Amino acid sequence: MTKNFILIFAICLIQFFSVDSYGVDPDEILQNQKQELRARNISKNIRCMICQNQSIDESNAPLAKDLRILIRSKITEGNSDKEIYKFLTDRYGDFILLKPPIKLSTLALWMLPFVFLLIGILIVFWHNKKSKKI
Amino acid sequence: MRKQLLILPSIFFLLILLIFFYLLIIDRNPSELPSTLLNKNVPKFETRSLLKEKKFVSSDVFGKKIKLVNFFATWCKPCRDEHNYVKRLSNQEGIEVIGINYKDNKQKAIGWLKELGNPYSNIAVDKNGRIAIDWGVYGIPETFVVNSKGIIKYRHVGPITKKIYKKINLIINEIE
Repeated sequence: MTKNFILIFAICLIQFFSVDSYGVDPDEILQNQKQELRARNISKNIRCMICQNQSIDESNAPLAKDLRILIRSKITEGNSDKEIYKFLTDRYGDFILLKPPIKLSTLALWMLPFVFLLIGILIVFWHNKKSKKI
Repeated sequence: MRKQLLILPSIFFLLILLIFFYLLIIDRNPSELPSTLLNKNVPKFETRSLLKEKKFVSSDVFGKKIKLVNFFATWCKPCRDEHNYVKRLSNQEGIEVIGINYKDNKQKAIGWLKELGNPYSNIAVDKNGRIAIDWGVYGIPETFVVNSKGIIKYRHVGPITKKIYKKINLIINEIE
């Protein structure tokens, strides 16, 4: 029993101290730390089109690697973050962004949770009012 | 009155279930993505030609006839599966098939075409995959239909099956 407990505790400890795994290979990393950080931040927002639920920062698919390298070369060429996002969405569409942009077509997606919250609050109030009467 | 209202959540729940079932049953592939390149000009690029001495210049190639653009590689098994359909499409009048050889070995590609037949009127070499990115390609084989003005009219991700073959034929007839 205690043996099992120690084992589970050890596994938890390892999990706790381990760093997230990334798909970035050492040879891709830029020398300039500021630029590398920008590249990492962009990569975290870009969907890997092959795995679809991973960002290209985490994915080790070949296309994800190509895109990481491309983003880094665009940064060293002096492109802004906005220009890089535009370059990618022009080719792959909004789907490549892990966070969908707020647009007329995505308004329902962004607004519905708040609408439901409002409905919930209204129901609670309505219910309260009535139960006081009794 | 109040009791009757209690039925509303159940109706709402059933409605949601119906929507889910509808999405399950209809013929759709959730991993297939809409192409942002539809109804846009083909990307411009220049590269080596696999079999010709001359350079492959996209502006020289597109904009005359209806073109089918097929991304392929020898390491890609579905590319081999769809090859017969690509050949059949290339035999049709008024269509030329352009191949884009994606991240491949030159000698292997030439051998592959010798073995299976070459349906392509010209083949561009995309050694590092940069051209494919400009086309928004994420998984080969991919096939595009480009009209005689150089505008992309259709895109298919994955191998050409009998169903897709028929669809491509329909689209070609439509834009002619």
